[in-house]
Amino acid sequence: MKRLLLITLVAGAASFCALPALAADSNECSSLSGDAVLSARTPQVDLYDAPNGKRIKSVDQDKFPKCLAVTQRAPNMMLQVSVDGAVVWVPPHMVNYRLTGKKPAICRNLAMGGNDTKVGATRALGEDCPQKVGAP
Amino acid sequence: MTSPAMHSSLGRAARTWERARRPDRAHVEALKSRVPYWFVVLVLLGFSILQIMLNPFGFSDLTQRYAQDIANLLITGPYLYPTTGRDQVTVALIDEESLHSLQMPWPWRYGDHARALGALLEYRPKAVVIDFLFVDERNDDTLSELVDAIARYKKAGVPLYFEGGINLPYGEAPLLPKLAATGVPILDPSIELYDGVARQYPTSGHCYRGSGGDTCLSAALQVFKDVYPQYPLAPLNDKIELVWGTKTAPINVKLNHDANGKPQPCSEESGALVRTYRAFFDKHTAQSACPYTAIVPIQALMMGLEDKDVSALIPDHVIFYGGSLQGAQDKSFTPVNSRLQPNVFVHAMALDNLISFKGRPQQNVMTVGGTTFSNNPAQIMAIVPIVLILSYMHMRRIRWRQKKTTRKEHGAMMEWFLGKGVEKLWHWLAFFLALGIGLLLAMWVGLSVANWVEDVFIAVELAAMLLIGVPDSFWGYLHHVAGGRPAHSEGAS
Repeated sequence: MKRLLLITLVAGAASFCALPALAADSNECSSLSGDAVLSARTPQVDLYDAPNGKRIKSVDQDKFPKCLAVTQRAPNMMLQVSVDGAVVWVPPHMVNYRLTGKKPAICRNLAMGGNDTKVGATRALGEDCPQKVGAP
Repeated sequence: MTSPAMHSSLGRAARTWERARRPDRAHVEALKSRVPYWFVVLVLLGFSILQIMLNPFGFSDLTQRYAQDIANLLITGPYLYPTTGRDQVTVALIDEESLHSLQMPWPWRYGDHARALGALLEYRPKAVVIDFLFVDERNDDTLSELVDAIARYKKAGVPLYFEGGINLPYGEAPLLPKLAATGVPILDPSIELYDGVARQYPTSGHCYRGSGGDTCLSAALQVFKDVYPQYPLAPLNDKIELVWGTKTAPINVKLNHDANGKPQPCSEESGALVRTYRAFFDKHTAQSACPYTAIVPIQALMMGLEDKDVSALIPDHVIFYGGSLQGAQDKSFTPVNSRLQPNVFVHAMALDNLISFKGRPQQNVMTVGGTTFSNNPAQIMAIVPIVLILSYMHMRRIRWRQKKTTRKEHGAMMEWFLGKGVEKLWHWLAFFLALGIGLLLAMWVGLSVANWVEDVFIAVELAAMLLIGVPDSFWGYLHHVAGGRPAHSEGAS
């Protein structure tokens, strides 16, 4: 019983101490209005040259700047920010960010295929035809 | 010149031939009642074996698959199959709406897949299986991003699986050499289809790494073996008979909207009686339009925002990362869905079965005492006790009839009703006998319903054969042709 009480007290104290830290990210960037990248979320953050572009570099979590204003949001959810004076795009899953406005709803028509018909064509994938090994 | 012995044997043969051509009906009728037990067993067994082995008019296959579908829709799906597996497997899906809303046309670049995989990793899944083939070399300088994504999975200790191409005509590598060089496990993506419907799943597949001999485990089995070591995988042979659940994942019901954004149910609500009627007479209305396994649309992950649905469906789940793309030719029918389903759901269902049955899924073969019996021998073994019991009861019935002649006769109407009642009871007895033995086999050796249900139909056929006295008449005829004489005739001569 005493052990249970001790564990409860320690857990409670730990949560109490952690609360300000959890709230810090959002409070820290209160000077920024609109959408903002608050901090890095993953051990490394990849920076891209365009929303559908190429990765230009990866920045370690501790070196990634905090409180960056989001200057643009791409349809594929990439966020445009300015890091060390360079305009880059970051994937949203790699950062903690604040989104103003309504989150886009995700709905689906799950009755996807036909019940007695099937597409009788192959999607053109835009790839080169496979080359025969050893072919000129 | 012929000897008297030869003359006598020729005469015997001629009389036998004459009896075969023009049998004495009264003699045959009298000899019928002398049919021995072993002969009844032999006739019934022979008939059963012929039907099971020869599959006349495709009757065996059709019965098996139809019964499996009905069982999935009416019994196993709604009542028996647990949601244990469903609650641990999720499909992260790229579909037409993902491409449209993300404005990322297909095919995606390696870097795009890397981002999706990175987003998945943030939710700490138990394992991720990539259901896309990366076979073709193409001019895409983001390949290194996918290689890095693999490294991040390794670092995080989350198993990541790729699938490899099979039977590639020009000797292409099953997986891009740069990806294969990372040492990532490669799985065989094969599935089993029967008339376009996914009811079975392979237990073995190609080996891609040159180890494990000629055959390795199939995709779902390999993932199960690696990720669920607490459930030892039973030694499996031939194929898994998939049990398709019907309790659609709640997230799919929540997601399902029509083209105008109006919520749509996945299937029509109905009670057991209406569902039974629909299953037999209007199958499509008894099936679900939505997949069984939970779906997380890929853009929900790519957004990176906190979402309680995503947070509940990815952490500690096995994720199948796949696509539902028109024209990609990667869809099949299932017994419980009214629409074509992307094949990623077949892999997910196979793993679901393995989890739900704790590594002992239903099979199309049975293994007893270390020996595996394929489908037909298994069915023949299952029919043997039914034949023995029905034959025994038939013999009792013959003896009872013989004794009855000495008892008081009932009125004609009473006789008719009694006869009809016995007839019905007899068929139901055979039916339930076979059903009971089938259920015992399902529970004992994991033999799927599809692989013993034909025995139920055969049992009823055997009952009908015994009711009209086929083995008795056959015996009476053969005995008569061989020169047998009824007791009264012997006495008279």
